[in-house]
Order: sequence, then C-alpha cells, then structure tokens
Amino acid sequence: MRLEPQQGERIDRGHEVSFTFHGASVRGFEGDTLASALYAEGQRIFSRSFKYHRPRGLLCCRGTCPNCMVQVDGTPNVRACVTPIREGASVEAQNVWGSLDHDLLAITDKIGGPFTPVGFYYRTMIRPRRAWPLYEKFLRNVAGLGKVDKHAGRASRYDVEHRHAEVLVIGGGESGQAAAREAAAEGKHTVLVDNGPDPIELEGVETIQGTALGTFEGGLVPVDAGLVLYRFRAGHVVVAAGAVEQPLLFPGNDLVGVVLPEAVRRLVGRWSLRPGTRAVVISADDGGLDTLPYLERAGTEIAEVVDLRETRVHEIAAQGRGGRLASVELDGLKVGCDLLVVSGGRQPAYALLAHAGARVEYDDGRGIFVPTDLPPGIEVVGPAAGETGDAAIPAATYNGAAKKGKCFVCICEDVTDKDVKRAIAEGFDSIELAKRYTTVTMGPCQGKLCHVPSIRLYARENETDEATIGTTTARPPWQPVELGLLAGRPHEPAQRTAIHHRHKELGAKMMWTGSWRRPHSYGDPAAEAKNVHDSLGVIDVSTLGKLIVSGPDSAAFLERLYPNRFGDMKAGRIRYGVLNSDAGRIMDDGTLARLSEEDFYVTTTSTGAGAVVEWFEWWNAIWRMDVEIVNVTGALAAVNVAGPNARELMTRLTDLDVSNDAFTYLDAKHAHVAGAPSLLLRIGFVGELGYEIHFPSPYGEHVWNEILAEGADLGVKPFGLEPQRILRLEKMHILVGQDTDSESNVLEASMPWIAKLDKDDFVGKWSLEHVLERGFREQLVGFEMENGVVPAEGGQIVIDGRPGGRVTSARWSNQLDRAIGMAWVPPNLAEEDAELTIKVDGSVEKARVRLRPFFDPEGEHLRT
Amino acid sequence: MSHLDFLSPDLAADDAVWRSPLERALAHAPEGVEDLTRTAVFEVRGDVDGLEGEVVRLTPERAYVLCPFEEAGRVRTRLTGAGRVVVDASAGWAGLRVHGETLMHRLTDLDLNALPALGALAHVRALVIRDEGDSFRLYFAQEYGHSVAEAVIDAAEGLA
Repeated sequence: MRLEPQQGERIDRGHEVSFTFHGASVRGFEGDTLASALYAEGQRIFSRSFKYHRPRGLLCCRGTCPNCMVQVDGTPNVRACVTPIREGASVEAQNVWGSLDHDLLAITDKIGGPFTPVGFYYRTMIRPRRAWPLYEKFLRNVAGLGKVDKHAGRASRYDVEHRHAEVLVIGGGESGQAAAREAAAEGKHTVLVDNGPDPIELEGVETIQGTALGTFEGGLVPVDAGLVLYRFRAGHVVVAAGAVEQPLLFPGNDLVGVVLPEAVRRLVGRWSLRPGTRAVVISADDGGLDTLPYLERAGTEIAEVVDLRETRVHEIAAQGRGGRLASVELDGLKVGCDLLVVSGGRQPAYALLAHAGARVEYDDGRGIFVPTDLPPGIEVVGPAAGETGDAAIPAATYNGAAKKGKCFVCICEDVTDKDVKRAIAEGFDSIELAKRYTTVTMGPCQGKLCHVPSIRLYARENETDEATIGTTTARPPWQPVELGLLAGRPHEPAQRTAIHHRHKELGAKMMWTGSWRRPHSYGDPAAEAKNVHDSLGVIDVSTLGKLIVSGPDSAAFLERLYPNRFGDMKAGRIRYGVLNSDAGRIMDDGTLARLSEEDFYVTTTSTGAGAVVEWFEWWNAIWRMDVEIVNVTGALAAVNVAGPNARELMTRLTDLDVSNDAFTYLDAKHAHVAGAPSLLLRIGFVGELGYEIHFPSPYGEHVWNEILAEGADLGVKPFGLEPQRILRLEKMHILVGQDTDSESNVLEASMPWIAKLDKDDFVGKWSLEHVLERGFREQLVGFEMENGVVPAEGGQIVIDGRPGGRVTSARWSNQLDRAIGMAWVPPNLAEEDAELTIKVDGSVEKARVRLRPFFDPEGEHLRT
Repeated sequence: MSHLDFLSPDLAADDAVWRSPLERALAHAPEGVEDLTRTAVFEVRGDVDGLEGEVVRLTPERAYVLCPFEEAGRVRTRLTGAGRVVVDASAGWAGLRVHGETLMHRLTDLDLNALPALGALAHVRALVIRDEGDSFRLYFAQEYGHSVAEAVIDAAEGLA
C-alpha cells in the first residue's frame, strides 16, 4: 500500500508500469524500482541467503547488500532495489528450491549448522574419491547465485567507450558536486560520475550516471554505466564516494524487517511506502535518528529509540516468525516490532583510494578506517575522507550470554560470528588468511557491510585492537559488474590476405595460423599436392613476413645477424637464411634477396614478422649501423606458382625472359606480372619449378584471377597449407616451430652448411661452437615408415622400451607412395637406413632413417 | 624497373585491377564511413625536416608523408634524395574516414585532442588524424582492414 502522495516522491502515479514476478503480474509506477513496486504489492522476502537459505528482505535499498538480488530477463544477480521498473520485464527469485516462502534448502538452516561450519567444503565430500562426480553435480546445483543460460545468446549489447578528462570526480554528493564545480570554474574539463538514481546537472561539468569500479595506474578509472563501460583516463581523480552505513552484529540481525537507515529514507521519501507498523531504532550516529521524521510521516509507530552514544546496551537479540522480525530484546527488555532500524555508524568508502595506492589507518577515537598518504593525482573529499560525523563505536557483537540464534558477520556469504571464532581457533590468525578461509568480504557487497565488523570481531577475539588487525587488500571491482560489460564487443582482429575472399569463393576451408586466416585446402589436399607435381599449383603466401633492409651497412648487418654469409651475394640473387637467437637457437627462417648494393629483401615465417622486426631493430640499436629496417609485410601480396608448367604460365603473365638461362634458380628479378609491378623470386619450397611473385597487395585478387585464367589450360589449381606441408616434407624442408623448438640449433637440425663458423662473429656463434665442443645430443632426420602407417606428430621414438626421440612431422605422400616424416633422434641413429621404432596407437612400428630429401634429392625439378 | 618499384601500386599498368581490402566489409556501411585506402603513403627515414605535403612525424628521423594516390609518382620523386630512405607504404595501409567523437571513443583510447597519433584502434595499431570538426581519418595495416571496418560498422550501429 502506498502512502498518500507526498512532496518529493519520485514516482509518477499517473504512469503505471507492469512486469511479472514468477509469472504473476506486478504493477508499479514510473520512478519505482523493481523492489519498491514489489514492496508496494506486499512482497517482503526478496531472496534466500547463500548458504542457509534464510529469508532475506530489503536491508540497504541502495544497491549495496545482496538481499534483493533477483534474476531479470535471464540475467542473474540484479539488485532489485536500484533497478528501475521496466514494462514487460520478467523477474524471478534466485537461489530458491521451491518458493521464496517455502524453500526446501532452508533445512540447512535448521540442521546444517554443525555440518556446514566455516570451511566445511575443504573437509567434507572428499571421500570416497570416486563419488566426487556425484558430489560435484550436487554442489554445482545448490551453490552459486542465479543461473546462467549457457545456450542463450547475448541478452544485451555492451560497449566500451574510452574517455579522457582533466578532472574526474567520483561521487555526486555535496562534496563531490563542490569539487566538480570548483574544477570547472578553473576551466578544466571536468566529469562527474555518480551512481545515485537522480541525474545531476552542474554548469560546465559533464555528468555520467554510473559506478566507478576501481582506480588503476595512469588515472584509469572504469565506470559501469549499465550498457556502456567508460574507461576514463583522468589527469586528476577526486574521490567523493561518501561513506557506507554499517550494520550491528547481534542474533537475528538478518531477519526480514531489520534495515539500515537509508532503506527507510528511500522507502518513505522516494516511493511513499510504509517500511513497518512498529519500529525500534538503534543507532550509533545520527543516521538512525534521521529516520524518525520519515517513520512519523509514514505513520509507523516508534516503539523504542536507542542512541548508542548515550545509552550502553550489552545485548540485542531479534526474534522472528517465518524469518520475519517479530520483536527485539534490548538487555532483556522485549519490544514487539516489525521494523528494526540499525546504524553502526558510517565507514568512509576508501576502497577506490586504496586501489590507487593510498594507505588506510584506523582512527581508534571514532572506530573507522580512514585513507592517508594519497598517491599523486588522487584527492579525497567529504565523508570518504573521514568526515562522517559524531558516532559511538559499536561493540563487536551484542550477543549477550544466551544462545538466541545466528549472528551474521557477513550476510552475503552467510558467515556467522561463530564461524569467525572457529577460524581463529583453527589458526587463521591473519585477517588476509581468514578472509580466504571464511570468505567474509568476498561476496556481492565486496566488504562494504562486513569488513569493519569482521575486523572489530577479529580484534576482540584476538584480544588486540583494530589497528593491529589491519584491513584486507582492496581490489577492484568496487561494485559487482556484469562480465559482458567487461568483455565489450566480441572483436578478434584477424589478418586477411588481399586474396582472402577469393579463397572463400573457391571453397577453401580456412584455418588460423597465428592471427592470419589461411586456406587449409580447397577440399582435397592429396589431389592438390599431386597437381603441383603433375602440372601447376598456386598458393597464396602473402602471409610471409617481408622486410626491406636498406643502407650502406645492410650487408654487414645481415652478416652479423645470420650465421650465413651475405656479403658476397650479388644483386639479383637469393639465399636461404636461418635466424639464430644469441643462445644459438633457431628463431625463424626465410629467404634474403639482394636487390642492390644497399638493399635487401628479407622474408620471414608467417607468424614471425613482428618478432624478427623487433630483433633486427634491437641489434641495430646496439650496433648503431647505418641501416634502416622497414616492415612491408602487409604492403605486398605474394603467390607461389609451382609445377612443371610454371615457366609456361610465367611467359604468359610477364614480358620477362623466364628461360632457365636468363632466370636461374635462386634469382630475383623485377617485372610486371599481369600488369602489377612485381619482384619475382625463383625458389621452391614445395620441390617443383617455382616462382614466388611479390607485388602490391591491392592487386592481389587481380593477379590471382589472371593466374587462374591464363593457367587454366595448363592445369593450374590453387593449393592450401595442408598440401604445402606434404610437399615440403617430401623435400625435407623444415618448418620452424613445427620441426624445431626453443632448444633447436642449426647444427643438430642437420643444417650445418648454414653456419659459417669461419666468419668473425654472428649472433649465436659462440653457442654453436659450444654445441660442437660438447657434441650432438640429438639430430633432426627424415624417416620412412616400413608398413605405411602415419605416426602422430609428437609421437615417441622408442629405444629399448624408453622414449628416445620424437616425431615432429609425418604425412602420407601419394607421390612417394609411403608414409614419411621427420624426427629428433639420438646422434647414433642419425645414419642413413638406421632403424627406428616409433610408437603408433599403442603399438611399436619400424621406420628407416633418411638423411636426404625423399623427393628429387638432387633438386633437378627446382633447377630444370 | 628500379629495385623498390614493386612496392608502388601506382606503377601498375592501367588494366591491373586495384581493389580495396575494405570493399566487401563496407558494402553496407552506414553513411559517413568512407574508404580512404586509395591514398599514397610514404615512410621516410633520415632528414625529415621541411618535407612537403601532409607530414606525420613519428620521430626526429622518421615520418609518414601522405598524398592523393594520383600524386604518388610526383611526391616520391620529390622525397627521394638527401640521404633519405623512402619506402612506398601505400599498399600496406587501408584508410577510413569516420565522423563523431563518440564513435571514436568506442574505437580507440587515443586522446582525440592530441592528434595525429599512432595507437590502438579496434585492437589494431593505427594512425589517427583529426580533420575539421568531428571528422577523423584512420589508417591501419591493410591486412587488418576487414576486421577494423567490421568493428567500425559495429560501433556505429551501436550508436544508431
């Protein structure tokens, strides 16, 4: 029932809004929250507690406590007391087995106490071990708050917005508004963030309705504004977050009808609701007393008022029926009531300051923790700074001697004073450890209502003071936030070649290589590989890293970086290079083409470009050579045409003389290909006559289309990564990262010809010399399976029943009609025809070592 | 052909078909989102003082020079010399013009009052330039172009 219309109420009685609660229609007014509308309809129990499933009603009415958390349109843990009413919303209670009035799991409150003490989950349901799946299923069903529909789509669209401000004021109370006005008057770009229900308008100040979740380095403050997460970068942050009303600890302090002062102010003042018929007020400060005019206005009988500053009370005990408050005992005096307003004083909301690095000190004169030693760029004003007024320091508990029910320290996690005492008895004598053991402060209120009371209790039980106990570490988020808001929009940047869409049109099955999207194959990898051997294939290799290394010292620079020799290369020639780390390990590989006396064109692996550029830049900074390194990976598309008909195709695409005499193996030449300015590299990763064409990426589709059109009668077909892997394995060409790992070096990888140890120096030279001195520990070799079975990559080489090596690559080759692969083996087995035993699906199969390429070992196809 | 000509898209024959990496993603773009990929961009190393054209200076010895695609040849000739290394990066960049500070706030954490600048835009490194009013030019690696364009369109839809 609503009160008569009153001045200042926030509801529009002329505008009804309806929603459903457990399927039943509920009507409220514009300006109501879900909770106020339900309260007006007589709802008093809003949730069941986390562990004991005790009835819980409105406590704070300002979005702090967990008592009104409900499921709204499938979204769990929505605080009904601060969520505006919405037409058509579907609201359900959560954490209930049965109904809010009759919850089956409330039995844990009756009998569970001795069986479910603090930390019980560490000690129970662990035997017999084989029953764990059953326990787990049960626990997952009963634990947690709310249900997430794993199969539902995104319920809401969440966006992230990056903002900058010279001054960011957090909190729109009196002190916050004053700080914002002052900053704006100084001409500073000022933003005020406030999570109150009413919009604030201040001249020259941008205001945002939202909740600051934390303060991070560099003045970063994320602000939850519902469907938008603002990521503020502020030059100066003013924290005016106010103070949090604290509860009192006594038996029955969680009963429905026990409320904090703000609940009365909002129920009466905003929504014109009577919070109870007969009230008792117990207050350590003015907070509780301030509710008296509201109670009078609502027609609530005030049965008793206890100002703890003037009256000492030793024992408070609330009793109820069906979880709802019926009376309260004050030092044995029983007072019937259905409303108990309690205020344990106000604790400055210092968490946002602590996130930023401020210290927190206990003020033993006032019984509160106050922030000190603020870091630069952070300021605190108002109650958050400790201006909380005159208050009595409440007792740790008001239990008295008799057993009168559960006294909750933490209502979020259902932790009682007994639980805290038990944790202390078990040796959890540090507040940080006790927090983890008892989970006090780890619930939805994030310690706002339980941190100080738990410290006070801890101090009493340890016979010390609050300053000695100290606080736990404050960590963001200050207020619970939806994970969807933190995640923002689902964008995962992908690198696509200029020919990407043509691959898809041709039916390619795409795969990830690093962040690149590449064709795995166009449907039949074996046929695609065969087509390369028989006629002509084309593959998109635009993903290769591509660098221009330019300057008078470029040759000397590369000589020092690579184990190979490059100083003697002539312009227009190409060499394969393997890049070593300074520990002599293989980092990357690729080709280096000398374009002129001072310019080299370097290719890297598809995923290695970024690391290689950094590596080059780093050494260039150290050596201070006259070299410029420019990453042109994305600027150039590249395709490789390979197969017996490759030369004929090239004669159709370019005016260049591509005869074997004019354009020999490992030559680099410039020409227009299909009209695009290109660099042509005569190299062959896949073992057949081949040309790699590098050209400006905007012409990617054009050149690709021309190749397919001009080569149609030559049998040209695109091939993907999988056939490329078969073809390169036939040639025993390594894949860095596949056949090598972070320990591999060129000597043991059977590429000793790469390392020119007679050079003065190069990166990794000392390490390679050390490898020679200590002798090889393993070697990379090829192998052929005797029975045609293809072993798994990563499979074991077995020697005398023990692991002795590993398979790095293995494929079936139609061209060779056998299963082939590469493996790391002990040096004594790195001999032609040596027998290997390889574990395949639990059995052991024989293989023979091969040291030369399986296909065309003399390279005649490449040089033809 | 000179030894770095293969980097210059403007040197292609007339019948070679130039195509933007954003073309497909922008097929249904909202009004105000414009493809600027056909822009010439040169990366210049060395003495970058007094360069003509739209110069975005990265360091004392590094700069990007932007110009209309059709003027690429003339600008390239003018830049060459004085011991500079000039690399035609035109084909490596895709570009977009967008409007609105709020849209930009949803794409990048760069300070919009301190542009031009290089920074993350839709999780990709980008060069962001502010023109008059709330008009912005975004340049980023062309291989990420499709992803960035999708992110821009999605962000714009979120504000619609």
